[in-house]
Amino acid sequence: MGAAVSTTDFERIFHPRNLAIVGVSKEGLGFGAGICNSLRAIGYGGEIYLVNPKGGTWNGQTLYPRVEDIPGRFDLAIIAVAAPAVPAALEACRMKGAAGASIVSSGFKELGTAEGIALEQEILAIARRGIRVIGPNCFGIYCPRSGLTMLPGPDLSRQSGPIGFSSQSGGMAVDFANLGKSMGLQFSKMVSFGNGADLRETELLQYFGEDPETRVVGMYIEGVRDGEAFFQALRATAARKPVIVNKGGLSDAGARAVQSHTASMGGSGRIWPAILRQANAVQVRSMAEMADACQAFTLLPGRVYRNLTVLGGGGALGVAAADAAETCGLSIPPFDDALAGRIDALLPKPGSSPGNPVDVANPFVAPRTLKEIMRLAASDPRIDLQIFNSLIHHYKNMARITGRPVREVTPYLELADDIQAVVAETGKPIVVILFNPKSGMDHLDVVEMFADARRAFVQRGIPVFNTLSEGLRAIGHLNAYYERKRS
Amino acid sequence: MSKAKAQELIRTAQREGRTTLSEYEAKQLLAAYDIPVTREILVQQREALTDAVRRIGCPLVLKGCAARIAHKTEKNLVRVDVRSEAEALAIFDELMAAMAGEADAAVLAQEMVSGRRELVVGLTRDPQFGACVMFGLGGIFTEILKDISFRKAPLEPRDALEMMHEIKGRKILEAVRGMPAADTAALARILIQVGAIGLELDSVAEIDLNPVILAGAKPVAVDALVVLK
Repeated sequence: MGAAVSTTDFERIFHPRNLAIVGVSKEGLGFGAGICNSLRAIGYGGEIYLVNPKGGTWNGQTLYPRVEDIPGRFDLAIIAVAAPAVPAALEACRMKGAAGASIVSSGFKELGTAEGIALEQEILAIARRGIRVIGPNCFGIYCPRSGLTMLPGPDLSRQSGPIGFSSQSGGMAVDFANLGKSMGLQFSKMVSFGNGADLRETELLQYFGEDPETRVVGMYIEGVRDGEAFFQALRATAARKPVIVNKGGLSDAGARAVQSHTASMGGSGRIWPAILRQANAVQVRSMAEMADACQAFTLLPGRVYRNLTVLGGGGALGVAAADAAETCGLSIPPFDDALAGRIDALLPKPGSSPGNPVDVANPFVAPRTLKEIMRLAASDPRIDLQIFNSLIHHYKNMARITGRPVREVTPYLELADDIQAVVAETGKPIVVILFNPKSGMDHLDVVEMFADARRAFVQRGIPVFNTLSEGLRAIGHLNAYYERKRS
Repeated sequence: MSKAKAQELIRTAQREGRTTLSEYEAKQLLAAYDIPVTREILVQQREALTDAVRRIGCPLVLKGCAARIAHKTEKNLVRVDVRSEAEALAIFDELMAAMAGEADAAVLAQEMVSGRRELVVGLTRDPQFGACVMFGLGGIFTEILKDISFRKAPLEPRDALEMMHEIKGRKILEAVRGMPAADTAALARILIQVGAIGLELDSVAEIDLNPVILAGAKPVAVDALVVLK
């Protein structure tokens, strides 16, 4: 382990005033050039110094032959040269006073060759002399606030938000950045650290724990370097803010040579979940579940939710809701007769039922009526959260009848405003389920409308999940965390 | 508790080139860590048996005991519900004959703990996270159902209680079928102490306490396996 990172170092690494990209090829689209393009596209504000041993220019920018030739100072270097050239480049960046370097290049320990391992050792030795290293074999950093991105693709969001994410896998990081953007999740910082020769899971976790910009921490982990240090950091961080972990590789590989039943049953598939629970981290099993959990933790007030209303319609809503709720330790208590009567008076007839759950039967019930029902339902003092199971895909039928675009006939903006108003008035959050059964080629207009509707809800602070069971699972994670949070 | 006593037991076994403690030694190690175990007397000589039977009291359990034999049930070396001195003597001869060839063969005369609820407590060393304690349903159900939970040592009381709550069969600890609710504080203490053994005694590699029987509300370790590194 390197020396503990000072906040100043991290500040310079995540918000570098100037950057150097070492290894920008003039031909084709290498990593260095791609990163430079992404940085320009996202609007990074500082100087970007480019290094190529051949010198000359690229896209009108000077290419410095050596790091030493760079005229100004830079806080962070992005190194994309071939593996054997990396140690010299890193040492030059250190001598120039850079706080950190992200080494995109591969060809190190991951090869398993003596040469690769030796090169990685060299990197670590230089890092210990005073420059923090991210990588090698990684995608590096994405930090919307500073306009810093090394992830593939020039179209990531500039909108900073509460989620800090670290990942051994670069693919997981770039997928999550894109998934997050599609879902309206916003990141404080994202780090793909690849081989993690120097900076890796435990220090990044500690940093995210301290970082005031990060309210929720997400991690994709394959292995940890120091189990004890990781556990301590995880427990300490989870005591301050939610930490959501997707641990890859949980199968109990291979029989171990042990004599006791305890040891034979204690493979990583058992121990990892236990460790995560003991630290009160939230364990998820996929990045989609990670995204759902992030949404719940960032948009819902941090507390335990027990009793829900479910409002909406759709196939066997009541049964499906009750089943899913029970699995997550939630309940959907029936309303008393007086309240049920008041709700019933607002519902279309026949086919509806005042519940709880409230089945509106008709998908075209006006938002103002739904708003009234949600207000009434929230008046039940037992209720602490409401689920609105949307049926807006049915508006495609109305679009066809009226000959107007589905986006125009679907009142999702009004609905979003109404839900936001009910939440503000009652203090009880409302979660929206946007399940779209019409997602084929003949319904791309519905797909587009759903994307727009999702954005409308999320922008108003209303969490949106694709299905009821996914939504309840995310709420279940929230409950488990706040129930067990060590104060 | 006496760490020194436990270390002495381990040293003896190591001097003899053994990688396990006998059940009798294992129980002494556990007792040194305040873990409740069965009252028992190790009988090496036939003439000492009668006195042991009187002191433990009938009905009792007789077990063939030798350090190299880890799983006695599988080897048919356990006799329960022994009701008289005569019966005990006959069983003694039978068990000793079955262990012919074991230098340290002896018979363990043990109180018969009555209770229908069997639990398991164990210790393993995870390559990443070190000493981890296990809790679960015991007896034959341990392997069949694998209804178990783990925590990394050291355990806080809260961790121990969560482990008990985490198994699917948690209701076994409640008052059921005329049996009292388990003394969860005593169970938590066992889990915490097994974790302490893992942290304090480096040469202990694995532990199985199976079964830990609920005698009324009180948990007692009835069988114990301690594997050394």
